[in-house]
Amino acid sequence: MAGIWIIAEKKELAMELLTPGGQLDAAGGGRLTVVVPESEGDPADYIAAGADEVALLGRLSEEMSFSSWLPALAEEIKAADPAAVLLAATFRGRELAARLAARLETGLASNCLTLAAGPDGTLVMERLAYGGAALQRVAVTGRPVMATIPPRTFPPAATVPGREGTVRRLPPPPADSLRVLARKEKERSAQDIAAAKTVVCVGRGLEKREDLELARQLAAVLGGEIGCTRPISEELRWLPENLCIGLSGVQVKPELYLGLGVSGQIQHLTGLRGARLICAVNRDPHAPIFPAADLGIVGDLYEVTPILIAEIKKARGG
Amino acid sequence: MPKVVACFKWVVDEAYIRKGAGGALDFSAVDYKISEYDRNALEEAARCRGEGGRVVALAVGGPEAAKGVKDALSRGADAAFLAADPAFADLDPTQTAAVLAEVIRTRIPYDLIVCGEGSGDRYAQQVGPRLAENLGIPCVSYVQKLTVAAEGGRIVAERRVEEGVEVVEAPFPVLVTVLPEINVPRIPGVKDTLLAARKPVAIVKKEELPPMGEAKLETLALAAARMERNCEIFGTTPEDIARFVAALQRQGAIG
Amino acid sequence: MEFKLTEEQVLIRKNMREFADKYVEPIAAEIDENSRHPAEVFKLLAEGDWMGIPIPVEYGGAGADYLTHILAVEELSRSCASTGFTVSIHVGIACMLVLLNGTEEQKQKYLIPMAKGEKLGAFVLTEPGAGTDVMAATTTAVLDGDAYVLNGTKTFTSNGPTGDFYMVFAWTDKAAGRKGMSCFIIPRGTPGMSAGEHFRKMGLRSSQTSEMVFKDCRVPKENLLGKEGAGLVMAMAGFDHGRVGIAAQSVGILQAALDESIRYSKERVQFGNPISRNQAISWMIANMATDLQAARLLTYNAAWLKDQKQVFSKEASMAKLFASEAAMRHTIKAVQIHGGYGYCKGAKVERLFRDAKITEIYEGTSEAQRMVISGNVLR
Repeated sequence: MAGIWIIAEKKELAMELLTPGGQLDAAGGGRLTVVVPESEGDPADYIAAGADEVALLGRLSEEMSFSSWLPALAEEIKAADPAAVLLAATFRGRELAARLAARLETGLASNCLTLAAGPDGTLVMERLAYGGAALQRVAVTGRPVMATIPPRTFPPAATVPGREGTVRRLPPPPADSLRVLARKEKERSAQDIAAAKTVVCVGRGLEKREDLELARQLAAVLGGEIGCTRPISEELRWLPENLCIGLSGVQVKPELYLGLGVSGQIQHLTGLRGARLICAVNRDPHAPIFPAADLGIVGDLYEVTPILIAEIKKARGG
Repeated sequence: MPKVVACFKWVVDEAYIRKGAGGALDFSAVDYKISEYDRNALEEAARCRGEGGRVVALAVGGPEAAKGVKDALSRGADAAFLAADPAFADLDPTQTAAVLAEVIRTRIPYDLIVCGEGSGDRYAQQVGPRLAENLGIPCVSYVQKLTVAAEGGRIVAERRVEEGVEVVEAPFPVLVTVLPEINVPRIPGVKDTLLAARKPVAIVKKEELPPMGEAKLETLALAAARMERNCEIFGTTPEDIARFVAALQRQGAIG
Repeated sequence: MEFKLTEEQVLIRKNMREFADKYVEPIAAEIDENSRHPAEVFKLLAEGDWMGIPIPVEYGGAGADYLTHILAVEELSRSCASTGFTVSIHVGIACMLVLLNGTEEQKQKYLIPMAKGEKLGAFVLTEPGAGTDVMAATTTAVLDGDAYVLNGTKTFTSNGPTGDFYMVFAWTDKAAGRKGMSCFIIPRGTPGMSAGEHFRKMGLRSSQTSEMVFKDCRVPKENLLGKEGAGLVMAMAGFDHGRVGIAAQSVGILQAALDESIRYSKERVQFGNPISRNQAISWMIANMATDLQAARLLTYNAAWLKDQKQVFSKEASMAKLFASEAAMRHTIKAVQIHGGYGYCKGAKVERLFRDAKITEIYEGTSEAQRMVISGNVLR
């Protein structure tokens, strides 16, 4: 696998992609190139983590969007002709990947959970399909092989001090027809759900918006964050969209996921595949969340949650 | 007012997929539907049309996709184009985008193209951005709020990014991919469905299009994803819940 | 012969399924428990043109055929038999009565708002002493100048407490026998007409049922529906339409019972196996599925005959008789399959069981249907 490119908006994502990138690179013996914005830390860190080359994206003016890098990156990749290009599957990354793939006239495997070289050297990727009901194994037939990989799929690459590599800077591209008018940071409360150790998730079983307080209390006792299913954010709009867990929402990987009144639609369950312990409180014993859970309480969340809060406090105290 | 194209895919309703023996997927009793994300696209297209605009629904697929056309037309579109052929049944994102681009370029005048963020079956999230590239127009993806500027000629879109929201402006012609939260798709009323039967539908056959390129993404296998865990069920008495909490502690999930 | 719904019918049925799943199923247990009329759902039903499917567009309806209306009632009833029934009696009887018998003015004034779902219709025939024996009714309408004056008491009036336009039957000439009864359209709030308290029923609890009392209730002459003395014939034709709706409601209940029984029997494990593997259970389900199919075909056939402008009175009765009895027979089995869980509140089959019973009683008891059918075949 001669030549691997990694493109990410954020340092931590680039460090994660260096894990599979390094493995592929070791197998192929080519150069490993990391492309990140110049604001994302010391290039030496990427080199220590396995990069042979770091290409820094120069600072864009406020009005320009990340996608304005598309023509320049397409030219760079064409010139370097790497065997594979891996991108972090962020919102911007997924769009950029698809558009790059179109320009490079190659295939792209989206949202890959695994990737590994087969016996013949073909890169084989696994991804979810049919709302998470199916696992699809795919291979790309064009060159380069392109893949997007969701955040936290791989651990950050180990660093080896003393490695050497080159650093270069790509000058900002000219403005394109898109103009960024404003950027709005998401609510502080919603920052950390994807990285939270404990997530209390509310679903349709919640009867009123005010009852979110009950879930908040439980989350507070557990020291966790609050999340929700799609109907709560999309239809009822009781919580912001960036707290919605699922295939097209946030993918969480907590130590503990606790669903309150969550029925367990496949699209939602897909968002918590990586949770270590899945627990559910639901009054419907047939709710599909139970077969996907480790521990379950069949009962009314309004009855169960106060007792649960008390028992957790008691267990902590004792 | 804008000429809008809304792309939709006629997909297997995943609720009907059964797990067969040995983890294989059983598609023998499936029903089809308009991909959920594309319902948002159709709805948003209808919303953006305003007075005097026009919405064309467009799909590419196997012959069975013809069944989705009336459904799409009952969701606010004025006319439909369908590129239907047995050879179009299972296209990869490269091919899908290429066929859509060809049909649009040669047959459908447009200012704005609206796609779902991904399809309900493969969810590759590629067709929209690839289509924009094929047509050489700007692309704004993962849009949660869309406005056609009052004076026309451009859109203002709020798109989701990891840190929050980016508000961007783009001139016509432009393609957007929309998130499910952008709107609540209608459940078509009875009259919507009856009227759909009277709207014009153009079928584009494979022979009418230039030869299609090779697929660039190959599916090697498709198997049921395993989600099952061994769930231990507890009751609701304080004693039951204390045992539940003890189990959480044993698992190291609470300190 | 073609056993196939049209593409539109398939789509409309699917849309109603989605509507019912989204708006009706989640509240069905609650509105049953509280005997509540879900006004918010009827507002949405009106917006989707579900309250006047077979009524022509020029009279506020959707302009589809009767079978399409029947499909909607079936799917709605699968989630909530009460809601399905309210649509059925509103469209199948109240709207159809005005459509088939009303003057142009009456259609403009009453049918359009009903078919648009802005106003709810009610059918006021049964009296405390006159159920199947309609001729035993005692409510009278006496012409006094330019108005009829109604006196009497009606009972078991569906949509009594919630209706807007009441189709009321009364004797204008008792001596004329079958040709002595007439029908009047009486808007809510007409002095002299009052609805009693909502009855506490075993099932169908969110459908609102009450007495209707008429005390010197003056109804303008122009509110006479059809000709004087034609009431009974109109009522019977109304029943023909309504009965196909009750058959569809029964089919919906039965389908729901089958869905629940299949799901539960595959999940419930006893003696180490899902109970669906026991022949005692699987045969119950086989019988249920078979009767469901038969009931559905009888129902669609009756609706299809109506759409073909053929006589469908006998077939409507057959469909209603078979489907309602099948619904009752098999909801008993569905509860049995669920065991103790099925006997408790919260199990859908418990509600289906209670709701099924009324289908054998209203719009003509099973016995009355047998009278109609035997009268037809022994002629």
